[in-house]
Amino acid sequence: MTDNLEQLIKEAVEKALEGDMDAINNIEDRVTRSKAKAALVKAKREASKEKSASSNDENSDAATDSKKDKTSNEHIAEILYEQFSEDIDKELSSADHIQIQSKNWLAISTYLRDDPDCLFDSLQCITGVDLGEESDLEVRYNLHSMTHRHAVEIRISCPRNKAKVPSVESIWSIGDWFERETYDMYGIEFEGHKDLTRILLPEDWEGWPLRKDYEVQETYHGIVVPKVKEGWE
Amino acid sequence: MGIVKGDQMVLNIGPQHPSTHGVLRLKVMTDGEIVSDIEPIIGYLHRCFEKHCENSTYEQVIPFTDRCDYIASMNNNFGYVVAMEKLMEIKVPERVEYIRIIMAELNRIASHLLALGVYGLDVGAFTPFLYMFRDRERILDIFELTCGARLLYNYMWVGGVSHDLPVGFVETVYGFLDYFEPKLKEYNDILTYNKIFIERTADVGVLPPEVAISYGVSGPNLRGSGVKWDLRKDEPYSIYERFDFDIPVGEGTVGTTGDCWDRFYVRMLEMTESAKILRQALKDLPQEGDVHQAIPKKIRPPKGSIYQRTESPRGDLGYYIISDGSPQPYRLKMRSPAFTALSVLNEISRGWMLSDVIAILGSLDIVLGEIDR
Repeated sequence: MTDNLEQLIKEAVEKALEGDMDAINNIEDRVTRSKAKAALVKAKREASKEKSASSNDENSDAATDSKKDKTSNEHIAEILYEQFSEDIDKELSSADHIQIQSKNWLAISTYLRDDPDCLFDSLQCITGVDLGEESDLEVRYNLHSMTHRHAVEIRISCPRNKAKVPSVESIWSIGDWFERETYDMYGIEFEGHKDLTRILLPEDWEGWPLRKDYEVQETYHGIVVPKVKEGWE
Repeated sequence: MGIVKGDQMVLNIGPQHPSTHGVLRLKVMTDGEIVSDIEPIIGYLHRCFEKHCENSTYEQVIPFTDRCDYIASMNNNFGYVVAMEKLMEIKVPERVEYIRIIMAELNRIASHLLALGVYGLDVGAFTPFLYMFRDRERILDIFELTCGARLLYNYMWVGGVSHDLPVGFVETVYGFLDYFEPKLKEYNDILTYNKIFIERTADVGVLPPEVAISYGVSGPNLRGSGVKWDLRKDEPYSIYERFDFDIPVGEGTVGTTGDCWDRFYVRMLEMTESAKILRQALKDLPQEGDVHQAIPKKIRPPKGSIYQRTESPRGDLGYYIISDGSPQPYRLKMRSPAFTALSVLNEISRGWMLSDVIAILGSLDIVLGEIDR
């Protein structure tokens, strides 16, 4: 009996590897079906391991040569500079970040996600920064690639009184909430965002709390708002 | 699922509701019993963490980080001090590194025990909750023995830890591990392979890996979808590269890869791995060393910024710290894993029944303190 089952699982896995998932899905007994699925996962993993091992051997030398003595930021900056030379501020960029103009950010972010050398499929963090009461605001994006395992930091600055940056919500889904949070705290408008509303604060709150020149409103619906104390008391 | 278009109805779940795990409000559009859209409304627990940080010194930030993810305070401390030490280029003593790993892994087990027990409650199993809380209590006792606090520890400081280990600590933790490891089988018998539990969670709320990555979902939720990604292995910080442990991933054992059961089971397996790390760390723990030796008298990091992430029980916990050379952070941003996990809720629960939404929400293991900050 057990031999029969094992035979059944083996055949189903072989068929599934060739693309016919129905072979597994049609097994009626639940336990056998889950066993077959587990076997399939195992078979696939082994196949991909072999594949990546062989491709690593070919590429590893070339990859280490070009990346020698360079941070991934500098490496990506060079790739971007070839494509979008006008949008990148080379003087302001450094070994740990790339400074770009906001105008073509949507095109650049699409490129960063889709180009085979970049493949930044995960947006780690969006940080808003106020550079001082008289200066600009800045948005910082920390990107990471699950495939290449490299990371990069993009900075875009925008004027204080007309803070507008293109939205990347369509590129990385988490951009939606991160941008709403940045809007909530800094009042930076993300153009093209489908629902740019406050996320942590109440909808009718006044002002942008994390700007350095923020002043707390005195009352909110008749409730006195306590002032932020200076330092520790 | 057949399409029935009846009258749409808006249903509010929360802000005060036991299965929202805190003060979370879900605005659910329902079509009969089927959910067509969910809008999570957050911010009820917003305590201006980031604004407070800008007005506090670097030392004073640590108690605030405790209160963000109050289920896993040690791991929140850990992320912050790792970022600060990298920014200030402080090398901490070996003994401190080991103590931190022990605390972080103990807290990971405690956090997963809470997550799994409460998840049982969410789907209607009351008993496992009591079993898991009984065992979580032992970990809290160990923390109390170490630093006097049971929930909010303020234990890890920049450059060291607040208290050295008490006498008999190592034996206590060994005693706990000897007690705890056989209990995992008990949990599996009582909850994991319970038929009703499997029916409620298998094939429900499947989160495909590419959706998870696009939504920034991380930690056990991402691994539940079959992606082998763990910062402790892939971008090792502190001394994690010295330990031998596996990264469990979801394999669709009873349903589809990435379903609620997988996310649940990954946490169950992770507790075994944490126990493995704990045993190795206890064995190699250096006997000598002053835990206060590397603590700087004044914390004034050089000008600059850093983005450092660590693996908290809920996923990638990131700190973005900007220093202007003064004793107060110029800007401190916390990237919280539960925030990103909650954002995917709408995507994976459309089309499910209302009661399944509770199962899906519970499987994401969110902590509102960390989402609202």
